[in-house]
Amino acid sequence: MEKLMEIAKKVSDKVEIYSLEQITDSISFENAKLKDVDSKLQSGFSLRIIKDGKMGFAFTKNLVDRDEFLQNALNSLKGGAEANFDLPLTKDLPKLDTYNPSIESLTNTEIVNECNRICDILAPKTSGQVNIYAGRVINRIRLINSNSTDLSTNLSFYYTYNSIMYPGSYSSISRETIYKKFERTPDECLNFILNTYNQSLKEVSPKGGKMKVLFLPESMYVLMWRVLSATSGKSIYENQSPISEKLGEAIFDNKFTIYNDPLNDKMPDARSFDDEGTPCQYFPIIENGVLKNFYYDLHYASKLNTRPTGHGFRSAVWGGDPVTIRPIPSLDHLYIKPGDKSFEELIGSIDRGIIVAGALGAHSGNIPNGDFSIGLSPGLYVENGGIVGYVKDAMVAGNIYDVMKNVLAVEDTLYPATMGTFPAVLFDNVSVATKS
Amino acid sequence: MFEILKSIISRMNANYADIRYETKKETKITFNGKELNQIGSNTTDGYVLRVLKNGGFSSIAFTKEADAEKAIKSVLENARLISKNIKKAVEFAKTEIIEDKFLPELKEDPRMISIDEKLELTRKYNGIPLKHKGISTTNIQYLEVIREKYFVSTEGSEIREDLTTTRINGLITSKDGNLIQNVRAGVGGSNGFALLRDKEEEFEKKTGIALELLKAKPVNGRAYNVILNPSMAGVFTHEAFGHFSEADLLEDNPSMREKMQLGAKLGSNVLNIIDDPIMPDQLGFYKYDDEGVEARPTQLLKDGVLVGRLHSRRTAAAFGEPLSGHCVAEDYRYAPIIRMGNIFIQPGTNTFDDLLAELKDGLYILDAKGGQTSGENFTFGAQYGYIVKNGKINEMIRDINISGNLYKTLQNISMVGNDLVLCQAGGCGKGQLNIRSCHGAPHIIIKDVIVGGV
Repeated sequence: MEKLMEIAKKVSDKVEIYSLEQITDSISFENAKLKDVDSKLQSGFSLRIIKDGKMGFAFTKNLVDRDEFLQNALNSLKGGAEANFDLPLTKDLPKLDTYNPSIESLTNTEIVNECNRICDILAPKTSGQVNIYAGRVINRIRLINSNSTDLSTNLSFYYTYNSIMYPGSYSSISRETIYKKFERTPDECLNFILNTYNQSLKEVSPKGGKMKVLFLPESMYVLMWRVLSATSGKSIYENQSPISEKLGEAIFDNKFTIYNDPLNDKMPDARSFDDEGTPCQYFPIIENGVLKNFYYDLHYASKLNTRPTGHGFRSAVWGGDPVTIRPIPSLDHLYIKPGDKSFEELIGSIDRGIIVAGALGAHSGNIPNGDFSIGLSPGLYVENGGIVGYVKDAMVAGNIYDVMKNVLAVEDTLYPATMGTFPAVLFDNVSVATKS
Repeated sequence: MFEILKSIISRMNANYADIRYETKKETKITFNGKELNQIGSNTTDGYVLRVLKNGGFSSIAFTKEADAEKAIKSVLENARLISKNIKKAVEFAKTEIIEDKFLPELKEDPRMISIDEKLELTRKYNGIPLKHKGISTTNIQYLEVIREKYFVSTEGSEIREDLTTTRINGLITSKDGNLIQNVRAGVGGSNGFALLRDKEEEFEKKTGIALELLKAKPVNGRAYNVILNPSMAGVFTHEAFGHFSEADLLEDNPSMREKMQLGAKLGSNVLNIIDDPIMPDQLGFYKYDDEGVEARPTQLLKDGVLVGRLHSRRTAAAFGEPLSGHCVAEDYRYAPIIRMGNIFIQPGTNTFDDLLAELKDGLYILDAKGGQTSGENFTFGAQYGYIVKNGKINEMIRDINISGNLYKTLQNISMVGNDLVLCQAGGCGKGQLNIRSCHGAPHIIIKDVIVGGV
């Protein structure tokens, strides 16, 4: 990387090189039986150069021919994509606990044994199909730039995804666990999916209309996706946010506090710097319902003449290889502040309503506008404080700027889920469409 | 390259092994509004090694040739682990040994077109919506992906195939006060750069729709009889039905497998669905899949009866059904999984006017905006629609998502039009992204569909 930096500096004003080495093992159990064990050994390099205020970008998996790699970046300068920002000089960052060395010696046999243990607990107690996915990931990231920044971090992950599926479908009650090292999946997690599934076996066809709707942590991403879209520096710059003029205003119920916290190293994937070398920070998006901040990377901060906030990550909605993706504003460490109600209390407070335990079609609909319209996968029907059964053929729809103003209660515990670490949240007066 | 690959698999002590090496050249030109956001070409490469040993089957993807030894060791260990932990050994269906080099003929090879010309064409299409005051921004991208694939198996197959995908597509966004609407626009395919030329009309039409949507009414959520246009009906075919023709999704799901038995009457008599990856000039075209199996047209639904399924070598053996050549990977980072190629509802005899007359009152729903399935239930979005009254198209509506039960919906398809259209840009995300996933249909009528309004 140093050699590449040397030759790149000679032909450009600013240079940034990012490298990622990744080891992945993934194990799947379907119908409580081992199905697949697959591995990946991936590495790659990503190069950004800035010359005369223009951006050049290139990536490769193997740093064999440095001159050709640099030439790809130089060729891309010709198009004239603007880049009027400086690369940061970042050092003396807080030390975070992101890596547990025991992950290196964790074998697939141990993970398979743990999955077998989980299946042995779940399968005899349910008529539903048990599917478990588990694995480990080790990431080694290094970032250097021509402003003398030289940062690196190692990250370790061990995860399980535990699910019980409804017959004739892939709809399931599920819960994830994620740690920095191997940990047994707690009984509490397995009991949650067992109890929730076993209480909802009966197929019911309730009448539609406006009612209470409980989003589980596993479906909160439907709403958060719209929040991320509206508060991204990219959307602000492109005039695609309906709340671009609302900083400091209450836009949601005051029970909502949403923040990004990359420094929280109790969870895996903590980061003291983003993928551009900007220091990360605790960052409130919504505080007690009030819109506090928009989030930026270097590019969009410079476009809007504001400070970068440490949110330039190489991530994309549909995954993708980080070395092939340029940094964009991303909230990769998102949390919703827990409330004061247990899960049982939340259910107990519903006279008539729907639990969204999983969503279909979160990506369709008008995301910038805050609209969502999702199929329930599954939806559970609740009456008089108890789960009555599961609902087929129903949709929940709304606009986050209406729905998120009507929060009845927030769960007191956070769970890792798609797009962040969330509690369940109970909303009032949400539109549910059914065939009845 | 074949020699290196043969040398790697020759070191495998296994019943079967194959290895695929690929280079992937991606050219991207991205506009956000009038600004050029990204431009450049890059090539990446890597290997995927698969092994079957004593009934245990596993795969590993790696990017450095120097990691080959480590990869061989890991994949054999993983196969052994599976072999010890499963009751029924994995088997592969027999396939023909193939030695072939297939480099499809393109109508203008994008490798021969300068990046400046690609940039100018993208800039021209991107500029069409931006001429209008109500358009707040665009996200329009030129994407060219050229995969050069080398496949070798211990059975003796040796296949070289190129897959070239080009497209210009993206989002056109309109805004009025706090109301934001967007519409997808795009052209593309698998047979060369020529099909991107002279497509101004597509961007003009979609700009008009984005502007009209600012005045459209949100749909009221309830059950309706609907006409789906070919784009929507194509997504329905792919999402709601097609995925459950993929045998890997059924293999270990006994309750789904029970419902998807060959011979089951799943749809109405008017419904015929086929997946044909070798249809020339279509987006989903390929000759060999990533297991070295020659692709073949597979009739899935005939007069409403399930008659076929999409298979890998593993699932064809497990189901005792014929191979179809549908095991495909996104690129060198992935082992192949079962994917659709070109799946579509075969056209009937009715005109669009016949369908309108038959519908009488209901909704006409157009252009898909993403979809998802969870087995028997599916949900997908539409970009816009119209209220139909007494067989006549009336005012425009927006915020349309439809949801339903696969089996009920297949039975509720009451009429199939004669105007088949296949899509030009794809993006199926079944664990891996398949940008060549192609689907289509003629206009169809479905009765009693749940439409979720906002």
